[in-house]
Amino acid sequence: MNFSQFIFRRTLMVIPLLVGVVFLTFMLVRVGGLDPVGLLAGPTATAEEFDMIRKELGLDQPLWKQFLIYAGNVVQGDLGESWLSNRPVLEDISSRSLISLELLFWGIGLGTLIGVPLGLRAAFNPNGRFDQTTRVMSLLGFSIPTYWLGLVMLFVFFYLLRWAPPGMGRISLMVSPPDFITGSYLIDSLLTANWRAAHSAFAHLILPVVCLAIVSAAPIIKQTRAIALEVIASDSVRYARACGLKTKTVRDIVFRNSATPIITFVGTEITGLVGTMSLIEYVFAWGGLGQYGLNAIVRGDFTAVQGYVLTLALFSVLVFLVVDIIIAIIEPRSELT
Amino acid sequence: MSLLSVSELQTHFIFHDIDNQLREACALNKVNLTLNRGEVLGIVGETGAGKSLTAQSICGLLRPPARIVGGSVKFDGRELLSLPDDELNAIRGADIAMVVQNPRSSLDPLTRIGEQLVRIHQTHTGGSLEISRQKAMEMMQAVGIPDPQGRFTAWPHELSGGMAQRVLIAMALMNSPKLLIADEPTTGLDVTVQAQILDLLRGLVSRFDMASMIITHDLGIVAHYCDEVAVMFAGEIIEQGKVRDVFLKPAHPYTQQLLAATPEQLHLGTKNQLGGQPPDLFNLPTGCLSQDRCPLATNTCQKKPPMVKITSGHNARCHFAKPLKTSRGKKNG
Amino acid sequence: MPAVSPTNVRFSTRISNRLRGVSRLSPTATAGVVIILMFGILAIFSGLFMTHDPVSAYPDRILQSPSAEHWFGTDSNGMDVFSRVIYGAKFGFGIAIPAVTISVLIGVPVGLIAGYRGGILDEVLMRIFDGLRVFPSIILALAVVAATGQSLINVVLVLGFLDSPVFARLVRAEVLTLRSSIFVESAVAAGNPTWRILFLHLLPNSIQGAMAQTAVRAAWAVRISATLAFLGVGIQAPTPEWGAMIRQGAEFMVTGQWWVAIFPGIALIFLVFGLNLFGDGIQDILDPRRRVSK
Repeated sequence: MNFSQFIFRRTLMVIPLLVGVVFLTFMLVRVGGLDPVGLLAGPTATAEEFDMIRKELGLDQPLWKQFLIYAGNVVQGDLGESWLSNRPVLEDISSRSLISLELLFWGIGLGTLIGVPLGLRAAFNPNGRFDQTTRVMSLLGFSIPTYWLGLVMLFVFFYLLRWAPPGMGRISLMVSPPDFITGSYLIDSLLTANWRAAHSAFAHLILPVVCLAIVSAAPIIKQTRAIALEVIASDSVRYARACGLKTKTVRDIVFRNSATPIITFVGTEITGLVGTMSLIEYVFAWGGLGQYGLNAIVRGDFTAVQGYVLTLALFSVLVFLVVDIIIAIIEPRSELT
Repeated sequence: MSLLSVSELQTHFIFHDIDNQLREACALNKVNLTLNRGEVLGIVGETGAGKSLTAQSICGLLRPPARIVGGSVKFDGRELLSLPDDELNAIRGADIAMVVQNPRSSLDPLTRIGEQLVRIHQTHTGGSLEISRQKAMEMMQAVGIPDPQGRFTAWPHELSGGMAQRVLIAMALMNSPKLLIADEPTTGLDVTVQAQILDLLRGLVSRFDMASMIITHDLGIVAHYCDEVAVMFAGEIIEQGKVRDVFLKPAHPYTQQLLAATPEQLHLGTKNQLGGQPPDLFNLPTGCLSQDRCPLATNTCQKKPPMVKITSGHNARCHFAKPLKTSRGKKNG
Repeated sequence: MPAVSPTNVRFSTRISNRLRGVSRLSPTATAGVVIILMFGILAIFSGLFMTHDPVSAYPDRILQSPSAEHWFGTDSNGMDVFSRVIYGAKFGFGIAIPAVTISVLIGVPVGLIAGYRGGILDEVLMRIFDGLRVFPSIILALAVVAATGQSLINVVLVLGFLDSPVFARLVRAEVLTLRSSIFVESAVAAGNPTWRILFLHLLPNSIQGAMAQTAVRAAWAVRISATLAFLGVGIQAPTPEWGAMIRQGAEFMVTGQWWVAIFPGIALIFLVFGLNLFGDGIQDILDPRRRVSK
C-alpha cells in the first residue's frame, strides 16, 4: 500500500484509542470522590447554592449523560473553564504546550544522543569495565529524583558558581522576549538575530535541559544495551561474523538492526518523561504545561485537571502514531512497499 | 600436505556455577581429521555430539564460556589457533566460507541481497564496485537463482528458504574459498529443495575444486553426497573413512547401531538398541566414552580404546572394532 | 571435575559457597542487598542512631549549617536534619513494602485469571491496562492521591493499585505460554478444579519474572511517594519523610542553606539505588545471558 493509505489506516486505528482515552480521563478525574462542588462553593455555601452549582456544572445528571456531554464538548474544542484562572482551559493549555514541547524536545533529544551511543558501546564489550561502569551510572540515574537534581543544579550553578541565571522562567525578566515565530525563545531569537535574548534564553534552557537529559538517558542506556545484546546474539550477526566482515561493519549492522526497537522504546519513554518534565518545570518555574497541570492537580482545579490529563494522553497517542509511521518508513519489512 | 589438518582438538566449556564451583564440560575430546581439495567430508552424529562446535572451533567463532584448551588446526600451512582474531577474520568468508542453518534469518534483514554479496566481496577481495557487482551476478547464476538482475535488489524476507540458502552459498563463493563448511545446510527446508541444494553444493565443489565439510545428523545426506565420513559421539570421532567403507561395513558398535536405527532397518528387529542418555560432559568416564551405552562393553573398555585401522583410510576407536556387513551391504553385494 | 553433591559438604560451607557464587555472578545484587540491609537497620533501630528527637524544634537554632552538634544542620523549624533523615528510612520501607505487597496481591491473581481464562475478560483488562499506559505514572498517582485525600494510607493504596498492572502483565505472559503445556493439560484432564490449577500448578511456574521485579517496583514506590510529598500531596511537614523534607528545603537551595534539601535527597537516592541494584542483579542471575561470565 502506498503512503497516504498507510497514514489513513493508522489514524483510523487510533480513533478507538482516543475514545478510550477520553473515557478514562473522564473516569479518572471522578474516581476518588473529588467533590468539585464543595471546592467551588466554599465552606459557607448553603444547600441551595450547592445544588445550583451542581446543576451549573452538570453534575446532577447521570454519569453516562455527563460523559456524552463532556465528549461532545471535547470534540468541539470546549474543555471548560479553569476555576483558578477563569479562562478557558483550552486557551491555557494551548498557550503553554509549545513551551513544554521545547523543553521536551531538547531534553529527550540530548538524552537520546547521550544514551544510545553509551548503551551500544556497553553492549559491544559486555561485562567489561566500561559496561559495568555504565550500568551502575544508569541505575544511579534511575534513582536520582528529578526535582532534587534540579535543585542541586541550581544550587551549584546559580548560587555557588553564578554561571546560571536564577531558576525562574525561560528568559531573564530584564530581557524582552523575541518576536513569535516558532514559539521557542531560543530559536526565535536566533532567527531574528536578537543576540541578547538568545543568550538569555540559552542560559535559562541549559539547566532544565541537562536535568531532563540525565534522567531520560538512564532508561535509554539500559534498554539500548539490552536491545543491542539481543541483536548481537541473533542469527544475522553471528553469520556476519562467520563471513569475516570487519568489526566496524558488524557494529554498523548491529546499530541498524537495533534502530527500530530503540525508536519504539524512546516513544514509550516519552510518555513517562512528560511526567518527569512537569516536575522540572515546577522547579524551574518554566511556565509550561507541566507546571500548569501540577498546580491544577494540587489545587483541585477540576476542569483544568481534566483538560491537562486529556492533553497528555492525546500527546502520547500522537507520539505512538508518529513512531509507528517512522518505523514503517525505515523498515523494509513493513507493509509499506 | 592436507589443506585442513585438525589434530587433538579440545574445546571445553569452563565457568563458575551458582555454588561458586568451577565446572568444566569437555565438549570436544581430541578431535582429529584431515581434508583435501576436491574432497567432501561428512560429519555426522546425534545432537550434542560436537559437530557444529568442531566447525566453530576451526573458524574461531567460539563464544564464552567455550574455549579451545588444546590441539592444533592447520589450514593451508598456517596454524589457526595461534592467529589473532583480525587475521582469522580475514580468512573467514574468504578462504574458509560457511553456509549455515536458518538462511532467512542469517542474512542481514536491512540490506538487499545484492548489496550483501558485494559487501562480502569488498571486505575480502576489494577492487572496484563494478567488479564486485559482476561477480555477484555470476555467483547468483552459478547457484541457480533465476533472474539475477532482478533479484539483485531483493530483500532477504522476500526470499523463500531454498532461495535464501542459494544466496548463502553464493555469498560463500564470492571470494573463491578453498574450504566450504556447511553446517546443517538443508535442515528446515522442503525435502525436494534439500536435494536441489545438495546437488548444487556437490556440483560447485567439483567445479571450483574446493574442500568441503558437511555437518549433518542425516545419514542419508552423507551417504549420497559425501566421499568421506566422520562419525562423532561425545566430542570424539569414533569412526571415519570412506563412505562406502563405513556405511557398508561399520566397525564401531555405535556406528552399527546408528545405521541399524534407520527406518529401513527396523524390520530386522535388531537386539542392539540405541538407548541411554548422552554422556555427562562434566563427568566423562575414563576409557571409552560410549561405555555406558554400548552392548559390547566390558572391563577392557575402561582403558582408552586406540584408533584401530580397519582398512586403508578406515579407522574406528574401539577395542572390539570389527566390520559388520549391513543389509545395505547385502543389497549392494 | 564433579559438582559438589549436597550430602558430602557441611551446611555452612554450602551456604558460603552459594553466597560467593551469587556475588560472583552478580556483584550488583550483592551491593544492593548490603545497601538495603543498611537502611533496614536504620529504619528498625532508628532510635539507636538518631542524635536528637526528629520532631522537636529548637527555635533558637533555625537553619544552622552542619556542625558537631547537628551533623546535618537544622531546618527552618529548627529541627535536626540528621535525625529526621534517619527517621525517614521508616517511611521508605513503610510505604514501599505494603505498596508492593498490594500490587502483587492484586496483580498476580488478575494476571493468572486473565491469562488462563482469556476471552472477553482478558481483552477488556488488557485494553484498560494499555489505555492507562498513555498517562505518565507520576501524573496518574498525583491526580488520584490528590483527589482521594491526603493520607499515608491513601498513598500506599493508590501506589499499590497503580502498579499492579505491571505484575499482572508479567504473570499473564507466563501463563499464556504455560497454558498449553503438557503438565497443565494433564492437570486439567485429571479433573483438577480451576482454582487448583491456577494456584498449585500455574502460580509457582509463572511467578519468577514477577518476583524479580519486586525490588524494582519497590524502588519506584519509594521514589514516587517522595515525589508526591515533594509536591505537597499525601504527606505534609513536619513529618520527617524525605520528599517532604526536600520540599521544605527547596526554597533555601538558592539562598545557600543547602543542607536542608540535599541530605534527605542523598538518603533517598541511596535507598532507591540499592533497591535498583538488587533488582537488576536478580534479573542478571535469573537470565543466564546477562550473567557476568569470566
